[in-house]
Amino acid sequence: MTLAHYLFLGSALFIVGIFGALTRRNVIGILMSVELMFNAANINLAAFNRFLAPAGVTGQAVALFIMTVAAAEVVVGLALVLMIYRARDTVYAEDINILRG
Amino acid sequence: MIEHAFLIPLLPLAASFLILFGGPERKDSPLPYAGIAAIGLSLWISLRILFDAWSGALPLPYEADWSWFSFAAELRGRPFIFDMRAGVLIEGATAVMLAVVCLVSLLVQVYSLGYMHGDAKFKRYYAYLSFFTASMLGLVVSNNLLVTFACWELVGVSSYLLIGFWFEKTAPPYAAKKAFITTKLGDLGFFLALLTIFAYGGTFNIVRLRDAVAMGYLPELVLTLIGLGLLAGAMGKSAQWPLFIWLPDAMEGPTPVSALIHAATMVAAGIYLVARCYFIFAASQVAMDAVAWTGLITAFLAGTMALVPYDIKRVLAFSTVSQLGFMMCALGVGGYAAGLFHLTTHAFFKALLFLGAGSVIHAVHTNDMRQMGGLSKRMPVTFMTMTVGSLALAGIPPLAGFFSKDQILEKVFERSPFMFAVLALTACLTAFYTFRMVFLTFRGEERDTERFRHAEESGGVMTVPLVILAVLSVCSGWALEHAHAFARLVGSGPGLLPGAAGEAAHHIDPMVMATGVTGAAFLAIGLAYRLYCTPDLSAALAWKERLSLPFKVLEDRYGFDAFFLGLVDAADRLAGLCRWVDAEVVDRIFVDGWGLLCRIAAELSNLFDALFVDQAVDGCGYISRDVVGANLRWFSLRGRVQEYLLYLAVGVSLFSILR
Repeated sequence: MTLAHYLFLGSALFIVGIFGALTRRNVIGILMSVELMFNAANINLAAFNRFLAPAGVTGQAVALFIMTVAAAEVVVGLALVLMIYRARDTVYAEDINILRG
Repeated sequence: MIEHAFLIPLLPLAASFLILFGGPERKDSPLPYAGIAAIGLSLWISLRILFDAWSGALPLPYEADWSWFSFAAELRGRPFIFDMRAGVLIEGATAVMLAVVCLVSLLVQVYSLGYMHGDAKFKRYYAYLSFFTASMLGLVVSNNLLVTFACWELVGVSSYLLIGFWFEKTAPPYAAKKAFITTKLGDLGFFLALLTIFAYGGTFNIVRLRDAVAMGYLPELVLTLIGLGLLAGAMGKSAQWPLFIWLPDAMEGPTPVSALIHAATMVAAGIYLVARCYFIFAASQVAMDAVAWTGLITAFLAGTMALVPYDIKRVLAFSTVSQLGFMMCALGVGGYAAGLFHLTTHAFFKALLFLGAGSVIHAVHTNDMRQMGGLSKRMPVTFMTMTVGSLALAGIPPLAGFFSKDQILEKVFERSPFMFAVLALTACLTAFYTFRMVFLTFRGEERDTERFRHAEESGGVMTVPLVILAVLSVCSGWALEHAHAFARLVGSGPGLLPGAAGEAAHHIDPMVMATGVTGAAFLAIGLAYRLYCTPDLSAALAWKERLSLPFKVLEDRYGFDAFFLGLVDAADRLAGLCRWVDAEVVDRIFVDGWGLLCRIAAELSNLFDALFVDQAVDGCGYISRDVVGANLRWFSLRGRVQEYLLYLAVGVSLFSILR
């Protein structure tokens, strides 16, 4: 198992995330895809830490931070989605276009 | 005393300003007496200097000068400070001139108290008189030719003011302008001479310049040019041929001013300048000859012109021109002392004659001698004094004019018998026209009884100066001639080697010559008596009838006035032509044409701007707003977050690939 394998895994996961974020109509699906991209980044951090600086734990610590921030973000995001659903009766991204210029 | 010499011109100058600004014009204004007091003080200083010089107590020349201004200069790459100094230089001739100018000026000012009494501009008249005298005195004492030139011009200005003093009349302003402009013509030569002097001599100081000439630092050609330039200046100021046309017209001023101009100030300046710069002329035979011939021609022409006019002042004016010609001629043939001697004696009797004429004019209120006649009965003092002056002018011994004219004729004969013949003839003419004037004015029957009855002898302030001048006209000749006192005082002329220019080519026994010339003068007086001392002027008029052509020529003053008028007219026409060319050709074609061209170019530029530049600007705006902007709006602003994210992803991917 080399660094490349891990990076490949991270990239794959990121692309899956992007693809999901771009194609899902449901906002909750988009949020889940964003979580996938977070995790792709986390894998990269852990892998770099393991292979390039095995003595320290910096990468792993940052990964832990990201998990925490992601959890908080999901909380806020889900709350927003809930409020939008209550106000407009939909969770489809193409219908939520009040920021249109 | 001599150390106060610089005060001589400054006192009248201060007086003139005091009179002019010291108070309002009033009938009883005391200010004119300030002018008289100032000139009196100057006269006292001058006389002290003259007597000291005379007795030998004072070594001449005396020079004192002060730094005037300085400037940085460079000579052959070496910088230095040039110190321009101005001050006084008293030579024998200067001492004499100072005394003469101050004396005549004082007498004229006293006389004017009577003559100008009641004039509306009495105070101003005295301010001008003082200024005139101050300018002349400055010219005489200055040791710096630049200062001399400045005073020279101031003399011109003050003569302009005084000749045109009655500017509310028609003729005086015209005469003043004529005098000013004509003398300026000569001053141009003086100015060029000054420039040449500084360029070659490097100094304006007369003494240093004399040294430079003596050392031979100045080439002869340059000296000739300088001499001719100075002569041109003297021609203008001293009314020499052909610039004498202004002097007869200068009669339009008040008569005491004429006396001042003709005796002491204005016209003496030119002769004095030539005498002062004699070392320059002495170094150049051409310049000397030019001076001599100018004088000769002037003396003869003016002498003949004086034969015909009936205006008493005009006769005297032509006579002055003629006598100035005598002086010039004397200077030109090396008679330095003789010329200055005649200048001195002439100052006395010409001032006397003018003041006497003024007294007559004051009494009869006309200048025309045909309306006078028989006035000796009414004005005995004026008659007596004027007769003395006329005898002196005619050169009758033992009066002043005899001695000085005799010296001149002697000098001229030594040089050239032809010149002598012309001058002797002119001397006879002088005797004739002088006594023509005396007989017409004072003898015979009264021709205008109205004027005759009102004529009265002038008051004391006017007759006393006449008497003083008459005494001087009698005495000054033999007093100055006695034991060659005058020649000893002024010397034989600075820079003139004894016997060099005055190399006597011809000799004549002085006694024979004096007797001959005096006899001829007596004959001329007798002729004048026959023609003019008659109840009516029939004999004279018959002569005039018979010789109408020469009379016409003389009355036209040989056409010199017409010539100069034609010159002015031609200049005027030339100026008109130039103006026409300027207005019609230069303005029309070049200025207006250029303007038109510019306007056409501007219109073209404007068109181009409107058609292309503005359209391009508008087009840019149109494309960015209505074409690109409108489409991008549809493309990007639909509020679909996922599309934005897509663009972002694609963009970032592209960047990472293309990096």
